[in-house]
Amino acid sequence: MRTHILLASFALFFLIACMGFPAFAEEGVTDTEIHIGQWGPQTGPAAAWGSVARGTGVLFEMINEKGGIHGRKIIYHTFNDAYNPAQTLAGVKQLQESVGIFAWVGGVGTAPGMAVKDYLMERKVPWISPASGSMHWIDPPQKYLFATYPLYKMEAKALCRYSVEILGKNRIAIAYQNDDYGANGLKGAKEELAKHGLTLVAQVPVDTGEGDLRPHAAKLKQSDADTVLLWVAPKHAIALLGAAKAMKYDPQWMSTSTCSDYPYLYDISKGLWEGVITTFFGDGPDSFGPLMREYKAAYDKFAAPGERWGTFFTAGFGFAEPLVEALHRCGRDLSRERLVEELEKLQYFRGVMGRISFAPFDPDDPMCRQGQTEVFIAKCVEDGDMVQLTDWLKID
Amino acid sequence: MDMERDHYEDVAFFTSRLGVFWFVILASGLLLFPFIASNYLKTYYIYVANCIAVNVIAAIGLNLLVGCTGQISLGHAGFFAAGAYATAALTGKLGAPFLPALLIAASLSALLGFLLGLPALRLEGPYLSIATLGFGLTITQIIGKIQYLGARQGLHAPDLVIGPFNLNSDAEKYYLFAAMAFAACLFARNLMKTRVGRAFIAIRDSDVAASTMGVNLMIYKTLAFAVSAFFAGLAGGLYAFVLGYIQPDTFNLLMSIMFLAMIVVGGLGSISGAVAGAVLLTWLDLTLRNVLDVPVLGDWLKSLSQSYFSITGVSNIQYIVFGSIMVLIMLFEPLGLHGIWLRTRQYWKARSDRGRRG
Repeated sequence: MRTHILLASFALFFLIACMGFPAFAEEGVTDTEIHIGQWGPQTGPAAAWGSVARGTGVLFEMINEKGGIHGRKIIYHTFNDAYNPAQTLAGVKQLQESVGIFAWVGGVGTAPGMAVKDYLMERKVPWISPASGSMHWIDPPQKYLFATYPLYKMEAKALCRYSVEILGKNRIAIAYQNDDYGANGLKGAKEELAKHGLTLVAQVPVDTGEGDLRPHAAKLKQSDADTVLLWVAPKHAIALLGAAKAMKYDPQWMSTSTCSDYPYLYDISKGLWEGVITTFFGDGPDSFGPLMREYKAAYDKFAAPGERWGTFFTAGFGFAEPLVEALHRCGRDLSRERLVEELEKLQYFRGVMGRISFAPFDPDDPMCRQGQTEVFIAKCVEDGDMVQLTDWLKID
Repeated sequence: MDMERDHYEDVAFFTSRLGVFWFVILASGLLLFPFIASNYLKTYYIYVANCIAVNVIAAIGLNLLVGCTGQISLGHAGFFAAGAYATAALTGKLGAPFLPALLIAASLSALLGFLLGLPALRLEGPYLSIATLGFGLTITQIIGKIQYLGARQGLHAPDLVIGPFNLNSDAEKYYLFAAMAFAACLFARNLMKTRVGRAFIAIRDSDVAASTMGVNLMIYKTLAFAVSAFFAGLAGGLYAFVLGYIQPDTFNLLMSIMFLAMIVVGGLGSISGAVAGAVLLTWLDLTLRNVLDVPVLGDWLKSLSQSYFSITGVSNIQYIVFGSIMVLIMLFEPLGLHGIWLRTRQYWKARSDRGRRG
């Protein structure tokens, strides 16, 4: 009798224990939902980049409409951080602790991202495609942080190679912004030109707050460069073009993916942008790939009235593609470790960005977490249209 | 407000038993906050509390300058940045222990305050605002050029270590920050009850009269700037460890204006006002993005933004509400939150007096 009671109580205990610990579930994933988060500046100095987060939202709506990923809908949590790191950290902490976000995607800006990096990495929360090209993301590499934004250094190398080898130029100068972005462009240009036995004929630093760019344009003219790389913000690029035009100085201007929104730049520069060559890390919004057309249809259906179909908006789709692909590959059995495994297995995955590959985590190799290493080069022609000059170029 | 019969009554920390009672309530509330937050709320609120503590220190410092001495500063983000960078560099790059580093950084900031105080001797009102504004903008430009401080790439703050303690979590940092904020309040309160504090007030009310009575304007005006900058530097040093990463662009004009808004909304010239202003504005700044989750109001605002605003309308609402709250406070209570407190106190006092008489 006693043994029976003992057995029965064991059984009961076992039953209760099982109820207390249901089958292991990952934070941010239920049978029907996956919670994904992103921050983005919808107001403040960087509000123009707010469309990245809105683009990602439209991609997720498109996926949900088709039934989600293996029966789970994506619940997308996005908030405005106004490009203020204190607000980014506040929003990320709150969502992580109240909703429980499975993974973060995108997120504009180096300073906002750096404020949350340690927090996310300590909690082993995957973060895919920070929306800024900084070495901070991959150096040192982090197991749960997957960068796709091509490094500004690579873009500079691609442009220098193109101008020397294809266009036959040999007097190359650079105007670079006095920060991470500009410094990396300068470094890439120097490294590539050294391979061809050339040096930069002028290096003109531009401060972010600078108003008058005529002295900078004069310096460039003095150097008699036949090609000028513009590693500056769009407004400065246009100001330089204007100042140079007034001085009757007309080199081949080249710039980065940051200045690759042709219709917009053509419009605000009143046509000066025609003839400028830039790099691209994703298909243009008006390219005719089937995937881009599908996205355009989603934009027509889901985007808020007044939303512009521009490069930042489509970049929002592109940044989230590797995450979506990895989620598909995980199948029903979804956990963060599985997601990281699947992301590491991505080889030459092609969405609307360049091909993306990661490698198993190696603390000594930053490139295992740098997904995209290719760009293509295009030229702005009349009415802000784009003519592609090269195929995808792999740069190392 | 009340009649005081001797100096000790003026400087006494508690003026009544009721004061002791409320102080004990407040102190235990602050001590227990992390437990309450981590068990019943979310640890996110501890982070918010840390941000509040930092801003309280900066606001008290600015209030000593603006509210008590009658000078103006639109460049406090500059002192804040100097403190943040100096602390992060001393601990991270030179391996100095945290507390001495923080004090050195705050002193450095105070030195900058003293230097900025020199031109302030000859400037007033809008001219002084422009001079301080220039300082605030210049200092981030200078930091942006110094490679040692990470230039525009930014600088990492190391782990916060005090002696044998490694303050990793927000809750651990909270105790340090709250203690610092409390010490700052106490220091400012005592300072205002000394010869220095009275000199500050005399300068605010009329600097000509003050100098006639023997207040050395040069010493006290620069001192006000230095003390105020010391507080800002202290707050900045803590801020670097709240975020763990600092970059020049973070310390922009908007930050200086927020500090000023805190003390104006809170009530110029009062310490409790500065605290209240800092608490309210920091709280709104960090949590108003959730305004759309408020039951009825949220839905109404959402439909309003969808029908009348641009695509980013929903985010703009946060700032419209933020601005409206500030406007309403200033419209109905020009003395700020401190004014509301004064009136409430007066009301209850009058009531109890009437009760005693009747």
